[in-house]
Amino acid sequence: MTTHLPTDPRTENLLRISIIWRGLFTLLSAAGAIFLWTGTLLPDSPLWQKIIITVTLVTASVFSGIGAVQISRRNHSGRMISLVVDYLAFVICVVAALTIGEVFIGIDALAETFTSGLPYLGIVALGYFLGVLDEYFPQKQQNSETSLKVASRWVMLGGFALFLLQVGAINGILYFLGKLAQPAGIVSVTGVVIFGLSLWTMGRAATAQALHVKTNHEQILNGWLFLSPNLLGFLIFFAGPLVLSFYFSFTDSDAFNTPSWVGFANYAKILNVRFALLTSPDQLARDVVNIKVYDEVGRFIFGNRGILFAAADKFFWLALRNTLTFVLFAVPLSVIPALILSNVLNSKLPGMKFYRAIYFMPSIAAVVGISLVWQWLYNATVGYINYFITLGIDFWNNLFNLAIVDPKIQWVSDEKTALLAVVLIAAWQTMGFNTVLFLAGLQNIPGELYEAATVDGAGAWDKFWSITLPMLAPTTFYVVSTTTIQAMQVFEQVFILMNPAEGPNNSTITLVLYLYRSGFQNFQQGYASAIAWVLFIVIFGLTLIQFQRQRKSSIYES
Amino acid sequence: MKIQSYRFLQFLNKFITYFVLTFFALVMIFPFAYMLTTSFKIPADTFRYPPRMLPRNPETVVVDGYDEPLPLYFVDVDGTQKEYALAKSNIKVGTYAPADNLTATVERYLTEVKPTGGATNQQKVTVNGEEVKLFDVEVDGQVIPMILVSQTTVGEFIDPKNPENKIFQNVRLSTPVETLGGHPENYVEVIELNNMARALTNTALVTILVVLGQLVTSVVGGYAFARLKFPGRDTVFVFYLGTIMIPFVMLIVPLYQLMVLIGWTDRLAALIIPWIFTAYGTFLMRQHFITFPKEIEEAALLDGASRLQILTQILIPASVPALATQATFTFLYAWNSFIWPLVIINVGNEKNHVLTLALNVLRGRASDTPNLILAGAAIAIIPPLIVFILGQRFFVESVASSGVKG
Amino acid sequence: MISVLVIASFALAACGSPATEAPVEAPAATEVPATEAAMTEAPAMEDVAIRWRTRPDNQEEIDVYSQISTDLDGELDGITLTYEPGGSEGANYQDQLKAEIAAGTAPDVFWIPGTDVADFATRGLILNAADLAAATPDFSVDDFYAGPMFHLTYNPETGAAGADSGAVWGIPRDVSTFALYLNMDLINEAGAPDPRELAANGEWTWDAFLDVAQKTRALGSDIYGYGASAWWGPYGVWLNASGGGFFTEDRSACALNTPESLAGLDFQRSLYQDYDVATPYGEDPEPTFRAGKVAMFQNGRWATPGVRTVDFEWDVVQLPDGPSGTAGNWLFWGAYVINANTEHPEEAWALAQALTTAQTQGKIAALGANIPSRVSQEALDSFLTFTPPANNQAFLNGIAADANPTAEGPLWAGSWPEFDKVMGPAIQGVLTGATTVDDFGTTICDEANKVFTQ
Repeated sequence: MTTHLPTDPRTENLLRISIIWRGLFTLLSAAGAIFLWTGTLLPDSPLWQKIIITVTLVTASVFSGIGAVQISRRNHSGRMISLVVDYLAFVICVVAALTIGEVFIGIDALAETFTSGLPYLGIVALGYFLGVLDEYFPQKQQNSETSLKVASRWVMLGGFALFLLQVGAINGILYFLGKLAQPAGIVSVTGVVIFGLSLWTMGRAATAQALHVKTNHEQILNGWLFLSPNLLGFLIFFAGPLVLSFYFSFTDSDAFNTPSWVGFANYAKILNVRFALLTSPDQLARDVVNIKVYDEVGRFIFGNRGILFAAADKFFWLALRNTLTFVLFAVPLSVIPALILSNVLNSKLPGMKFYRAIYFMPSIAAVVGISLVWQWLYNATVGYINYFITLGIDFWNNLFNLAIVDPKIQWVSDEKTALLAVVLIAAWQTMGFNTVLFLAGLQNIPGELYEAATVDGAGAWDKFWSITLPMLAPTTFYVVSTTTIQAMQVFEQVFILMNPAEGPNNSTITLVLYLYRSGFQNFQQGYASAIAWVLFIVIFGLTLIQFQRQRKSSIYES
Repeated sequence: MKIQSYRFLQFLNKFITYFVLTFFALVMIFPFAYMLTTSFKIPADTFRYPPRMLPRNPETVVVDGYDEPLPLYFVDVDGTQKEYALAKSNIKVGTYAPADNLTATVERYLTEVKPTGGATNQQKVTVNGEEVKLFDVEVDGQVIPMILVSQTTVGEFIDPKNPENKIFQNVRLSTPVETLGGHPENYVEVIELNNMARALTNTALVTILVVLGQLVTSVVGGYAFARLKFPGRDTVFVFYLGTIMIPFVMLIVPLYQLMVLIGWTDRLAALIIPWIFTAYGTFLMRQHFITFPKEIEEAALLDGASRLQILTQILIPASVPALATQATFTFLYAWNSFIWPLVIINVGNEKNHVLTLALNVLRGRASDTPNLILAGAAIAIIPPLIVFILGQRFFVESVASSGVKG
Repeated sequence: MISVLVIASFALAACGSPATEAPVEAPAATEVPATEAAMTEAPAMEDVAIRWRTRPDNQEEIDVYSQISTDLDGELDGITLTYEPGGSEGANYQDQLKAEIAAGTAPDVFWIPGTDVADFATRGLILNAADLAAATPDFSVDDFYAGPMFHLTYNPETGAAGADSGAVWGIPRDVSTFALYLNMDLINEAGAPDPRELAANGEWTWDAFLDVAQKTRALGSDIYGYGASAWWGPYGVWLNASGGGFFTEDRSACALNTPESLAGLDFQRSLYQDYDVATPYGEDPEPTFRAGKVAMFQNGRWATPGVRTVDFEWDVVQLPDGPSGTAGNWLFWGAYVINANTEHPEEAWALAQALTTAQTQGKIAALGANIPSRVSQEALDSFLTFTPPANNQAFLNGIAADANPTAEGPLWAGSWPEFDKVMGPAIQGVLTGATTVDDFGTTICDEANKVFTQ
């Protein structure tokens, strides 16, 4: 502000044009908002769309007006406003143009020709390896090194160009242009050009100078600009739907009809439960609760008496029970062996990296595929798991002359073992992943601690309890909480393994499965949204408890 | 003496270590091995009990006088095992005994035995209070009326070299002659009939675009969070952090309706575009960039470099491991995701199926051919495994680093 | 190949030198192309494109319907047909359809099981074709089996059904019924009596059935006497055959707790628990049967194309008669219905009709997939020509009037899917020995009756 550099005439002219453009933009958006309600513009759009568009247009109009005034006062905020408004409009126009040109749905068509282009992507890969090769022949000759790099670059570019040709890039661009040659397309392309020009005008260094822009202003703009791709997508595809989900949970949305507001009815139905005292263990539910509303979920028997737990939505509570049981078994089963294995792997013996790699393999395989494999391993008649059990039992029986009866477990069709079968798959699949995490934690523990303990005469076991475990606490917290969050969402294993997915006698219906069933089988999407929020609260609660415990234990240690 | 026992203990220690490690390694490997070997079997072989690991082919032999090649079995001829061909099965054999001496049994083909007194007027006898039919059975040239105690079937096995040599025995319990040998054509069948090839390239395309897109958005976003000061940054960052814990299933209903609204149901775009903006990836990148020394960047700024230049020419080349971490997670997530494609992609539109969907369809259609199902599973599982084996160091270490940082 | 590719893309994204930056950005452009290809695939302008779908249970059925689609495409003027197989039973066929209807991507004509007609109709997802039917002189409700047509012409507003009820929800694709698929190799080896002969002599009862099952089961620990899938069809048969059933006569309340129903359920439970002759309940018996390890496999006609690939001697026999004097069989059916949102209702209706003409049904029947839904001797004759199985008559006996089959049907007074979700797990509990028949009887209708609208 202190130094007023003279402004060159070209910039002056551009600034004048910008002020006029801002004013024009203000008027155009205001007019757009008005025509929207007179029915000239987008006559068929529903009310909520009209409201959103109006709010957007009016906001844009007001800010644009302010921007015009500020630019005329040579205030840097005018530039800021102008850039923001134009940038958002620019993005909208680009997305509109891409949509009208059917770029997004055109990905389907790319998938059609993608296969034929794959060999050319191989050329790209070849080029990349040429570049890598370069690093293996260092400093032999200054020229050869660069030529290899240049060759790599050209091979990659050439390969990619061939790939584009092969998958039909030219046809695609022609099709895109053809699609744009309609009123809406022309409007959006014009928008792209105009807003782009305006952005360029405001972005010029000379313009910035004329408007007294400081470095930190530049940083602010850069910050938002760099964040914007992520933030916009995040708002549209994450935050927006999240809010929408919250709204749905208060409606009876069913995906076919317009949803209507039902207040807390969905949550009330989920949480509508009754406890009743039983005077005898086998007293019927209908004697103690109103069975027109409630279904028995379970009963807890103490001697001659008991408590009956009934709920209006039995399936939700069964799902909650199963999910929590699953977590209770799957988390220790995938964490404790991982802890032990990581300690064994942490020794300096040869071959540890090999074992580490083997343990890690299950965690990269698709759960769907893995579940199909286990489904056959679990097969009650010809499956390997029962075969191994039979072999083991025969072995012991012969060795000690016992008569243990072969249980012939029906893993997935017996309600006593169905959930266990799912637990075993999950534990098998996450154990290696957790082992690697623990191993990383172990390698961060300073070796001096152990040396000092050895000097004090501590045994291996003492060291494990007094050094390893406490020092590993942050890793353990991370491992346990991520495994828990994942386990709470168990779905794919039961969906593939069980037929029907609810499992024998509802023994494997889980919260996410029930959410899926409510939302995409019964199409009670409002109700499903409410389940989603309850699920979230449960996960949040569990994580909070773990977090508290972790904080407490770390306080004790320090 | 003491040293010896110490050495022994050390050896024992090592032995136990490797024993435990190898045991767990076998547990981890076994399902994969089972998947691979089963995918090369013929259906009948997959239903064998006790199960066998390696795929086998039943042997056949061409015998004079028979149009079709005959299956070979092991039979016991005078105490030696020989390979005989099964010429005829389902030959009914009855065990007959006189009504007054049920232990004196003889075996005859049902066709050799005639009803006593003729078919229309068959004689009967009362045994244990029940009326039982009588049959004329010839024993040592003598015809004795007997009752049918039990019946079963046998197969006629012939010596392929000398078809006159015949042996009769139970077919189901006979051991077929087999040779080791796989059936790679299972893969051809799965790919041709069940659209696996298209699903494979679709999955590859979706995964590549998601990984690339997500890298771009999280790198620039993470850079903004880590290095650029602007009002509102910390609020947005806290907001991002808060959403990391939110599970995806929370969004499945509204996101589905959003896709319906913008017409992306049944489109691959629905599997790609929403997934390239993630809070978690941005967070990881931010954590990485924040550890990068500021001085280099400031020097570059003084030289007149723009932020984008700094990012692409200084920061990104120095961040390959972090980018690989992010790419790894995204790759696995995109390759293996199931519930979202299940909801959004039309089951009838097989052109847009990804591998997990194709597997879900396959498991219903080929439920009686586990070899095909597991061949399909192998097609879905093996590409990430190859990537893993090639980039093992990257994979494992990036997971490790995520734990340390998280 | 793919791995190389992926590594390359990792690299592209990761190394970020100016040279590779361009390719990173480029995919945006490459997304465009093949739309072109999609366009060239689009049908010629004058033809109306109609998509249709049925649920196949195996590859053999897919082939049958693909052939039909190709044939009809040639016969119907002005319509271009696309057949989509859709998911199989295990892959949530109906749920997928609903998701697609909600998203507006569902086919124009699709098949749904009889049990789901009410759900689809009351949600407004399928077209009431009454007007179209009235304008079609060839179409007569009486041409098809009465059981399916009752539900397909049921008008939920008036409660009327029949030709003039003002409702036509669809046309039945075919009918089917259960039979026992026999592994004659096992039955002969066990020396058990031939069920076909017993049936011919009128001696094919539950006791005779149990006898055969026990004799074959005795052949080995991996050989089973009986196998059935875990859904309402197989267990419902035993309830029906002992004089019970799922619902009361007017289908407005649960009847699972009547003494007859419980007796039927108890006999089935004894097959699993007491006599241990059956494949584990809940595990698919079809692979086991096709592997030659099940003597009697209860399934519908739809299983025939798949069973034809087995390499043992096989045939079918009707279900054994229960205490009520009948086998309690079902008349299964499903119908072609029209998407309520279709842009071409006339063409869709024309297709639905073409798919159910005597000629088409004859073709399907001759290919062996199912029994024609038209009541006509001609159609039945063409069905009988398809062998094996030799004993095709077993299926016709199942749907014959004197066998008194129970027609599969939706719940107009409630929700069938919800009823099924209550009943299925509870019955599974009984058959796997987790709950007793008595406990089942005392509680089941308390829960199941909630799905009926009072």
